[in-house]
Amino acid sequence: MTEAGFRRRIVPPVLLLAVLAAAILLQPVVAPDLGLGNPDRSRADQLRATLDRLPDRALVVVGMDADLGTYPEIRVTARAAFEDLLGRGARLAFVSFSTEGRAVSAAEQARLRDAGTPAGAVLDLGYVAGAEAGLVRAVTDVLPVGASGPQADAIEEAGGGLAAFSMALVVSGADLGARSWVEQVGTRLPDLPMVAIAPTFMLPELQPYLRTGQLSALLASVRDGAAYAEATGATDTADVAAGDRPPSALAMVIGMLIAAGTLGRLVARGVVDLARAARGART
Amino acid sequence: MGWFAGSGAPAVAATWVAAAVTLTVLAYLAGERRLFRMAQHLLAGLATGYLVVLVVREVLLPRLVEPLAAQPAANLLLWPAAALVIVMAAARWLPRRVVAIPVAVLVAGTAAFALGGAVAGTVLPQMAGALVAGDGGVLDLAIGAAALVVTALVVLAFLHGVPRGRLLGGANGVGRWLLVAGVGGFVGFLVVSRLALLVDRLTFLLSDWLGIA
Repeated sequence: MTEAGFRRRIVPPVLLLAVLAAAILLQPVVAPDLGLGNPDRSRADQLRATLDRLPDRALVVVGMDADLGTYPEIRVTARAAFEDLLGRGARLAFVSFSTEGRAVSAAEQARLRDAGTPAGAVLDLGYVAGAEAGLVRAVTDVLPVGASGPQADAIEEAGGGLAAFSMALVVSGADLGARSWVEQVGTRLPDLPMVAIAPTFMLPELQPYLRTGQLSALLASVRDGAAYAEATGATDTADVAAGDRPPSALAMVIGMLIAAGTLGRLVARGVVDLARAARGART
Repeated sequence: MGWFAGSGAPAVAATWVAAAVTLTVLAYLAGERRLFRMAQHLLAGLATGYLVVLVVREVLLPRLVEPLAAQPAANLLLWPAAALVIVMAAARWLPRRVVAIPVAVLVAGTAAFALGGAVAGTVLPQMAGALVAGDGGVLDLAIGAAALVVTALVVLAFLHGVPRGRLLGGANGVGRWLLVAGVGGFVGFLVVSRLALLVDRLTFLLSDWLGIA
């Protein structure tokens, strides 16, 4: 192996391992109390205020269109919201308009069943094909073929569409997210309150809807998610499931080190390229 | 209880498989591209298989095949739908003119709903939100007006091949720089988002796989 090849293939993994080892050893000493937190609870309070206005045993439709890649960022927040709603006596009906969202929805419903959620509290409305056209159809007909049970009957009695629900909780991330709900459902059912949970990269896209009142509440950053989970007490219990707890302090330290290293490498490469270009321009 | 629901051997095996795939993807950080490509192929294969099962089980069978088989005469609208599905499935062997019909229906339908929704649900309410001061005061009105000016300038940046005067040309240039600034801001949010995902994977590896954090 040439010296350049050795540098390229061996040095990065060794450096990475050294950084990991250093972080594992130093984090408990240097930053023992590191954790997620957010003193600004305004967004979390906005969501809780919306939930406070729900009637008893409210029917809430969960538009589960998270993306498999970005769902881990909002998983703690989404699960805290499910727990919060179920704790208030709400009945949840899960529907997905994207295939990835359907996969996440099936996993979350299985988790809720395993956690002992009463059968009547959760209804699976399945996957609705047709993208925007599917959303429009769901306004008048959202029940899948063969749906049964008290919750399905209640939806049927109220017309069988999304108007039967007291609120929509949209878990976004895939192509059909909160924006599509606002555009297709919000324009047809303006009285249906809509709240959204979304990954950080969707914040600039969704924030304007909060300003105009088209969304009643929005949690679209890790900070706001942490504030909400803390406010609901979702992360307080000692036996909280693995996917429900906030990220470990050590993982945050290592993640930041990797990000800083990558950024430093990019900046260094940019500086070298600029220097080369300047030298080339002189000669 | 591990990361996956349940306990015992299946959960442990699932955790180890997930850890192995996570490490395979993270190996890209160290310059290992073959393993990363393998993980990509695995994801693409699984996603395609899942998509086929989902569409057959939750769309084609309950909403098309079963109603047609049960009451063919009562579901007249489903016959053209079935024909469109068959044409799409056999697109490779059919003439372009035949295949163009279902494709045109799909594209036109999606565009019509998306465009109509964007205008009625985003453009008009956002313009109204920017214009009407309500009880927000002068500052809100100023922010709204600034948003409208920025929007107009960025729209002007998309004018290509149109004869431009000095004023329009200047506005076009400003709009282009505002667009670049907007993209920069979006990339910043994207980086924060991806960092959170990296931390989640590291939490999984350290806590649930290795049990050291």
